[in-house]
Amino acid sequence: MTSVTGRPAPARHAGAGTEGWPAPGARGASQAPAPSRSAQPSGPGTSHRPSPGKFSANTVLAVIGLGALAVVILWWHTTPDVSGLGGWLTGAGEILGLLAGYGVVVLVALMARLPPLERGVGTDRLARWHAMGGRYIVSVIVAHGLLILWGYAVEAHTSVVSETGVLLTEYPDVLMATVAGFLLLGVGIVSMRAARRRMGYETWYYLHLYTYLAIALAFSHQFAVGASFVNSLAARFWWSAMYLIVAALVLWYRLVVPVLAFYRHGFKVIGVKLEGPGVTSVYIGGAHLEELAAEPGQFFRWRFLTRSLWWSSHPYSLSAAPGKGVLRITVKDLGDHSEALASLRPGTRVMAEGPFGAFTSRGSERGVLLLAGGVGITPLRAMFSTLPGPVTLIYRASSERDLVFREELDSIASARGATVHYLIGSRAQLGGDPLSPRVLRSLVPGLQRHDVYVCGPAGMTSAAVEALQAAGVPKRHIHFESFEF
Amino acid sequence: MRRVILAVTATIAGLVALLSFKSHVPAIAAATSGTGVSSGGTSGSGSGSGSGASGSGSGGSSSGGQGFATGKQTGLTANEHTVTGNVANTIYGPVQIQLVVKDNKIVKVSVLQQPSNTIHDIQIGQFAFPRLIAETLAAQNAKIDSVSGATYTSGGYIQSLQTAVDKGI
Amino acid sequence: MAGGLAMAGGRLRHAEHVMGTVVSFDVPDWAGDPDGALAQAVRWLHWVDATFSPYRDDSDVTRFGRGSLGLSDCAPELAEILASCAAVSVRSGGYFTTAPGGRFDPSGYVKGWAIERAAAILTAAGSGSHCVNGGGDVQCVGEREPGRPWRIGIAHPLRSGSLALVVTGRDFAVATSGSAERGPHIINPHTGTPATDLASITVVGATLAETDAYATAAYAMGSAARDWLEALEGYEAFAVTPTGSAWQTTNFPAHVAR
Repeated sequence: MTSVTGRPAPARHAGAGTEGWPAPGARGASQAPAPSRSAQPSGPGTSHRPSPGKFSANTVLAVIGLGALAVVILWWHTTPDVSGLGGWLTGAGEILGLLAGYGVVVLVALMARLPPLERGVGTDRLARWHAMGGRYIVSVIVAHGLLILWGYAVEAHTSVVSETGVLLTEYPDVLMATVAGFLLLGVGIVSMRAARRRMGYETWYYLHLYTYLAIALAFSHQFAVGASFVNSLAARFWWSAMYLIVAALVLWYRLVVPVLAFYRHGFKVIGVKLEGPGVTSVYIGGAHLEELAAEPGQFFRWRFLTRSLWWSSHPYSLSAAPGKGVLRITVKDLGDHSEALASLRPGTRVMAEGPFGAFTSRGSERGVLLLAGGVGITPLRAMFSTLPGPVTLIYRASSERDLVFREELDSIASARGATVHYLIGSRAQLGGDPLSPRVLRSLVPGLQRHDVYVCGPAGMTSAAVEALQAAGVPKRHIHFESFEF
Repeated sequence: MRRVILAVTATIAGLVALLSFKSHVPAIAAATSGTGVSSGGTSGSGSGSGSGASGSGSGGSSSGGQGFATGKQTGLTANEHTVTGNVANTIYGPVQIQLVVKDNKIVKVSVLQQPSNTIHDIQIGQFAFPRLIAETLAAQNAKIDSVSGATYTSGGYIQSLQTAVDKGI
Repeated sequence: MAGGLAMAGGRLRHAEHVMGTVVSFDVPDWAGDPDGALAQAVRWLHWVDATFSPYRDDSDVTRFGRGSLGLSDCAPELAEILASCAAVSVRSGGYFTTAPGGRFDPSGYVKGWAIERAAAILTAAGSGSHCVNGGGDVQCVGEREPGRPWRIGIAHPLRSGSLALVVTGRDFAVATSGSAERGPHIINPHTGTPATDLASITVVGATLAETDAYATAAYAMGSAARDWLEALEGYEAFAVTPTGSAWQTTNFPAHVAR
C-alpha cells in the first residue's frame, strides 16, 4: 500500500497530466488544477450553460407506473362483466396483453438515449431497468399467449389444440404476433447472462435488434383482436400515438442525433498513445465541443469509421476533462475492439454519441472520495483533476502493471494538494481486504461526511459500496457506476 | 430471486383483484328470469301441486295468466305493455332487451342491442351467444303429437298447449 | 277422475288429472284392449300419487320423511327410488336432491318414473306404440306410425302458446324443466337461491325417470349444465335463456324435426 501526497512527479511522457494535447514539458504544477472550462462551475452563481433537464429515477418510475395504471383502466372501461372459467382466463390474458403492449414501449424508451433519462437516471441504471423489465415483460407475453389460448378454448368449447389452430389461421394477425412472441422469447434467452458470456457483445447486440422486428410484427394484432381496441377509436388513437412518439424519439436520438453531431463536430482521431501494457489512450478532436456539455465522469458511445470497426459502437468514459477541441478516452485491452483501437490512424473519422451518464459531481466542501477499481479509474481520473474542494483518490489494482495514469495521478495530486492511495496487490499480499470499512476509515479521515464515487468491475463496486455503508457513509452520498455489457 | 417472487405475486394478485371486481352476475333489468308469472294462489286439484322438482321452494303454484295467446303479436292490446331493459353487460358484450308483457307473461322478446362482432364473438357466437330464436312455431302448424314444457299443474293444463293437442286440435 | 275419452279412427286419447297435474295418454292404433290397459295405467298413477305425494299427510313419503315409518315398512318401490335418486344425485354433482329445502321429497324422480312405468304397463299389455305425457314430461314408445316417428313440440318458455322447437324420435323420453309455469321454483341446492340462469331446459333420453331427473338437475345447474350435459352419455339437451336465446348440446340437432 503506497500513498502519495504532494510529491511532485517527473513527467515521463509527453502529455502526461495534461488537460489538453500536447503540452510540451509538462510539469504537474503548470497544469491546470482548476476545473476546465467545460466542466462544472467553481462555485454558486458562476454563469455557464444551464444544465439540461434531468428526470430523476423516482420521477421516471412514477410515470411508468401511472402509464401502467392507465392501461389497466383502459381494460376496465372496455370490458363487460367477466364470468366463468373462460371469462377469467381470457380476461387475465387480455390484461397481460395490454401490459405487454405498453411494457415493450417503455423498454424501448428506456434505451432510446433520451438525454433527460441518461443524465437523470444514469445509463447504467437504465440498462439494469431495461434488463429486469425485459425479463418481466417476456414472461408476461408468454403468460398472455397461454391464457388467451386456454380461455378461448374454454369459451368456444373446443380443445386447446384445435383452438391453437383456429387462432393461428382464422384470427387476423395472430400468427405474426405468435412469431413475435417467440422472437422475444428467443431474445430473452440469449440475453441471459449464461448465454451472453459465450457470445461476443456484437453478436448479442445484433440479435437484440430483433426486438424491433418483434414489436412491429405484434403491433397489428392488438387492434385486430384486442377486445379493448376493437370498439374504441380513442383507445386505438392514443395507443398508436404512444408507439409513434417513442418510435420517433428512438429514430431521433439514436439515428439522427449522432449523424447531426458527426457533421457538426467532425470528430476525428488525433492520436493514439500507449499508456501501459494493454492500455491505450485515444485522442479525438472536434469542433464546437463545448456544445456537448460533457462533464467529467461521463462517457460517449464511439463508432470508429474503419473497415473493421464501423459496425460496432462501444461506450468509453472520458479519461480526462474535455479539453479545448479534444476528448480523451483510455481503453484497456479486453477484447477485439479495444485491441484494434491501438492501431487507429490519425484522421480516422469517428461518430460519437453522447455524452451519457449520471456519474458526475459538482464537488463538495465536505470532501469527495473517488474509489477506483481496475479499469474504473478512467472516469475518476477525469473527475480527479477537475472537482473543486478536497478530493481523495483510492485506486485499487491487482498489480503494479495494472495501474494506469500513475504519473498523471501523482502530478494532479501534488498540484492540487490532494491525496492518492494506491492499493496494489492481491488480498493475500495485502493481508486482508484492502477495502474494508476499517481501512477506508483510516485512509480517509471524516469519511462519513464525504461524497463517494465508486467505479470498477461490478463485484468490486458492490463490495465497496457495502463497505462504505458499513463505515458510516450514508447511502445517498454513495454514487457508483457499474456496467455489465 | 426475491424480486422475481415479488413481481410474480404482485401480478397475480392484481389480476385476481381486477377480475373479481368485474365478476358480478350481470342483471338484465326489468325482465325477470323469463317467467312473467306471479306466484301465489291456486292449487290444482285436491292433491295439491304435484311433482316438486329438486328444491321446489314455494308450496303455492300458479298457472299464470288468463289469456291463451297463440301465434304472432301484432301491435299491443290493452293488456300489454313494453318493458325496455337497461343495457346489460353480459359476458359477450352489451345486450339490451325489450319485452312485451301481457298479463304478467312475456309474450315478445326483442333484442335492441347486441355485442358487436369481433371475430372472437362470431366464433363463440356459434355456440354460446345465441341468436334469438327467429321462428316461433304455432302449435297448430307443427303437427305435433305432444308438448313438453315446464310442468303445468292441473289448472295450468287448461291454458297449456297440451290441452289443444289432447283435444286433437 | 276426470278426463274424457276421445277416439278418432282407432286413436285413443285420455287426459287424467292426477299427481297435481294432468297425464295425457295417446295410443294411436291398437287392436288390443285399450280400455283395460289404460285403466290399469291410471290406477297405477293414482297409487303412486297416494303413496309418494309429499303433499299428502298419509303418504309413505311423508311419513318416511317425518320418521314415523321405517323404510322396510314403506312400499318396496321407495327403496328402489332412493337408490336411483342417489345415483342421479352423484352423477349431477349434487344438483339433484331428494331433500330440497331440507324436506324429504323425491318427486323430482318419482313423477318421471311413474309416467315411465305407466307407459310400460301399456307396453306389457301389447301396445307397440304410445305416448304418455305427465304434465310436460313425455315418454314415447315405438313410433307414431310405422315409418313416422313421434313429434314432440317444446313449449317456448317466453312466448306462451308458441313452440320453440319440435323434436322427433322413437322409444325416447323428453323432459323439460323450467319456470314458465310455476315461477322460479327450482332452487339451486348449492347456493340455496332459485336457479335463474335458464328459462327452460329440455333433455332427451331413452327413459323418462332419469331424463326428467337430469332435466331438473340441469335447470338447477344453470349455465354450467351445458358442459355437464355435453359430457353425459345418452342424453342431449336444448336450453332457452331468459333473453330468449338458446343453446343445444352437440348431438341434439339429430333430434330436431325438419
